[in-house]
Amino acid sequence: MKTTAPPLARLMHATRDDVRHSPRLREASQPIEPVAATPAAGPVRLLHAAAAILGGSVLFDSAVEHYRGSFQNRAMFLPPISAMLNIGSSAHGIASRDTDAHPLRSLSYVASLAIGALGAGFHLYNVTKRVGGFGWQNLFYGAPLGAPAALALSGVVGLAADRIAANEKHTGEATLLGLPAGRTLAALTSLGLMGTVSEAGLMHFRGNFQNPAMYLPVTLPPVAAGVLAGAALRPTRRSRKAAKTWLGVTSVLGVAGVALHCYGVSRAMGGWRNWRQNVVDGPPIPAPPSFTGLALAGLAALTLIERASR
Amino acid sequence: MSSDRPVADPFARPRAAQGRAPDVFERGGWTSMREYRDDEAVDFVIVGTGAGGGTLATRLAEKGFSVVALDAGPYFRPLDDFASDETEQNKLYWTDNRIVEGNDWMIMGGKNSGKSVGGSTVHFAMVSLRFRPEWFKARTSLGYGVDWPIDWREMWGYYRQAELALSISGPVTYPWGPKRPRYPYRAHPVNAAGMILAKGAEAMGMSWTPTPLATVSAPHGKSPPCVYRGFCRFGCSTNAKQSALVVWIPRAVAAGAEIRDLAMVGRVETDAAGLATGVHYMREGTWRFQKARNVVVAGYAVETPRLLLMSASDKFPDGLANSSGLVGKNLMTQPNQAVFGDVEEEIRWSKAPPSTTITEHWNYDDRKDFHGGYCWMGQGPLPIEWASVQAGSRGLWGDALVQNMKNYNHCVGVKMVGEAMADENNRVTLADETDQYGLPITRIHYSWTDNDKALIAHGLDQMEHSMRAAGVRNTFRQEQDANHLGGTARMGDDPRASVVDADCRSWDIRNLWVCDGSVFPTVGGVNPSLTIQAVALRTADRIEALAQRGEL
Amino acid sequence: MTSRFPGYDVLAKRNTLSWNEPTRRAIDKRIAVPPGPRFFSVTEWETLCAVCARIVPQPRDRPPVPLPAYVDEKMFENQSDGYRFAELPPQGEAWKTGLAAIEAEAQAAHRAGFHELAATEQDALLRRMQKGELDGPPWRGMPSALFFNKHVLHDIVSAYYAHPTAWSEIGWAGPASPRGFVRLDKGMRDPWEATEAYPGKEDKARRENQRVV
Repeated sequence: MKTTAPPLARLMHATRDDVRHSPRLREASQPIEPVAATPAAGPVRLLHAAAAILGGSVLFDSAVEHYRGSFQNRAMFLPPISAMLNIGSSAHGIASRDTDAHPLRSLSYVASLAIGALGAGFHLYNVTKRVGGFGWQNLFYGAPLGAPAALALSGVVGLAADRIAANEKHTGEATLLGLPAGRTLAALTSLGLMGTVSEAGLMHFRGNFQNPAMYLPVTLPPVAAGVLAGAALRPTRRSRKAAKTWLGVTSVLGVAGVALHCYGVSRAMGGWRNWRQNVVDGPPIPAPPSFTGLALAGLAALTLIERASR
Repeated sequence: MSSDRPVADPFARPRAAQGRAPDVFERGGWTSMREYRDDEAVDFVIVGTGAGGGTLATRLAEKGFSVVALDAGPYFRPLDDFASDETEQNKLYWTDNRIVEGNDWMIMGGKNSGKSVGGSTVHFAMVSLRFRPEWFKARTSLGYGVDWPIDWREMWGYYRQAELALSISGPVTYPWGPKRPRYPYRAHPVNAAGMILAKGAEAMGMSWTPTPLATVSAPHGKSPPCVYRGFCRFGCSTNAKQSALVVWIPRAVAAGAEIRDLAMVGRVETDAAGLATGVHYMREGTWRFQKARNVVVAGYAVETPRLLLMSASDKFPDGLANSSGLVGKNLMTQPNQAVFGDVEEEIRWSKAPPSTTITEHWNYDDRKDFHGGYCWMGQGPLPIEWASVQAGSRGLWGDALVQNMKNYNHCVGVKMVGEAMADENNRVTLADETDQYGLPITRIHYSWTDNDKALIAHGLDQMEHSMRAAGVRNTFRQEQDANHLGGTARMGDDPRASVVDADCRSWDIRNLWVCDGSVFPTVGGVNPSLTIQAVALRTADRIEALAQRGEL
Repeated sequence: MTSRFPGYDVLAKRNTLSWNEPTRRAIDKRIAVPPGPRFFSVTEWETLCAVCARIVPQPRDRPPVPLPAYVDEKMFENQSDGYRFAELPPQGEAWKTGLAAIEAEAQAAHRAGFHELAATEQDALLRRMQKGELDGPPWRGMPSALFFNKHVLHDIVSAYYAHPTAWSEIGWAGPASPRGFVRLDKGMRDPWEATEAYPGKEDKARRENQRVV
């Protein structure tokens, strides 16, 4: 047990054994009033923020793309609505003093997971039913397979936040799906990152990587995913620091991507004046923040891993 | 801002003058251009700046030769000059008079003749296809026509160069022919009209593919990606289209070539020794003479033989490079018949380039009882063109026409590009009438051969079958249409049976070259622009090699 | 006859991103075509007007596209198509001969000028011309079918579909630069395109067309 850290920090990172063996901690840990924050509160709130960012990306991206599709199928209204509900839930999750799972939040997250999965199926059907079937042309121009996954991820991340908080509150351990939360979350995040990389890679391949910056989302996030996975499997100080750095880079990439996509819109014929064509046809401005959302989830995973390794 | 400033009329006076040429990528912009004196011989004077002349001018200049390229037409600024209007954009075509005759008159103009810097590539439909390799040995391997004096493997390398230069947007893999490298840009989205071609092809067990097009699907240099406006054949006002005006000419000027617009060449001068000495051209109302060590004629298959014939002299009474008697003969066009119909859904076919999908099945399937091949591609005619098909092809007029035209948004069709056979009777000759420059106009005699008619009949049957299989109703045939030109200065390895050799150098006059579709001894079943540019790229390399060996 | 695209006017987009400056200049000039005749004589003009009215009948509830003026302008400015059939004289001469020949045929068949005939009689005469059944001294050796197809039909129909009124009539989106099109799939329309009035949906189509911009 480290004695140099201030008491509150020690309390946050303390284990049950610590409390049993330290009178000061025991005293400090006596509930004077109901404690709002559980030890995993920080990462849990971060996860809600991640879910919100993912939700925001999906809200605007699906709105524009389904507007382009003229909302031909009534179900196309579901993703933006679900994303909005997730954002609301996540805001609630961040603001609420009790980080335990909340039934309405969970409902929103589960719904978005379901709608995302349904959407992925729809999109796959769309790609395969177009003449030519499953091939480059329809992958380029049919409904994007990765986009519904982003909605599902928003739900997964939000659910993770709620489940980790609930598990910790009721069992004292931060777990997810019965496994240590940090590692499970890291695995989910890495997978999510690689999925987003594939989607961005496909679209940038369609754009012929005509601007060198288009290589960034297929080079940086994979490193982050790999380093995060490494830190989860072998959490040393170095690996955790590396993961933190690369996840930081990835979250910045998500913001830089927005600026770069705006630049892309300006390069099209008529630029921003022709926004009614170019915002819809051009590089999707709301898409890059998915990387930011996932990177934040990864950072939350790292914090949980750090905690667990003490 | 620029809408307030009146842009000078490109027809009023030459734009490429006084040391500068228009910068087509900047509204009202200029780029500096080197100029050469008329009375000092340049290495190459090139007549025509299209797919052949524009490409050659660029590569020769980049290799260090001094080049002056003349074009009878104006130097357009697409961003400033091009309107979204069929009639207004007739200004891109060669609309000077030509007399057409024969059983199957050749309709001249937007289907085969451009008049501007950049030539016909300013109005072409951007379809950029490679020849089937066997076509380069049509006689030996397929039993018709004549062999090209160039090997297909050599051409394969030049096709690649051309595709890279033009940033061709094409499919990741191509269904026919030997493996080719991936096209530099990805294919464009297929529009509703293109999907119907695909559906019809699949119903007949044929492969199809998104069309390789010379317009970009993502930004390239200063070209924005295509906005799918569908006015491609009336001039691309965004510069997404990779015409010679936008690809080659700026490179040529940057490499030190001089472009002279509104410069009609009337005669290639030859001396007593039988060599070309330069060209007479009319510019700003006066006839001038540009001295040159080499003359390249690149006016495409009507203007090239016209110039060679007009330049007859005492030494060459039958016209230049005509000891074989073949200048102007073996004129070929390409059958462009179509099958149209309508569907219940709205197609709005003019959104996107005309041909977003294509099938080359009948270029590679030899189970036919006629020679040659053809492909077919989607279409998206604009109103006047469509009305002309309804009126001209179906004979509709009156109420029937007007009501029928209201179905415009539901129409769909496919059009073939076929391989016509060479026939010496199909030819370009000089008429007695003269034009506004005082030069004799051309008389174009054309009739389909029996083989052509068999090919056309087969194509119409197949296309109709395919449209019906795709669910198209009320199908009808456009029985007569043609596009592209070729053959009137054919290349070969025998001076008695050809006008130029494999290097596009005329047999009779060793410093007189032809660099355009006129040199095609066979025309193939695909649009010719990519092959013309590939031949020009090869010719530039050959000229460089010959120069290094002192054989120029 | 009810419009298939009620309320749709392609000119409503004149000052939007669908039209650029060269387009506005060209269409302004097109709409302001001089009324004519400048090339044809008064009698030829009379016949021409009647022929145009049969080749492209126009509804009376809107200003007509001045087709005779466009044909007259084409001849007056000698706007060439870039080719001439060996069997036909130059276009101006072809038209004058043709119009005079049509008059002569009308007189011969009905003892009245072409413009005085009933529409059915006019159509019948034009159909005979289209089939090449008319010849004789007035035609001066000019094949009537060729003249009909390559001049009468070609020039009049091209003039009609060069006019914004015709574009609106067929529901064509019209000029498109710098703004092109986004939705390329079947059944999909961009907000700046015409809406077709399917049975029962005329009012909805009209409302959408009035919002097209």
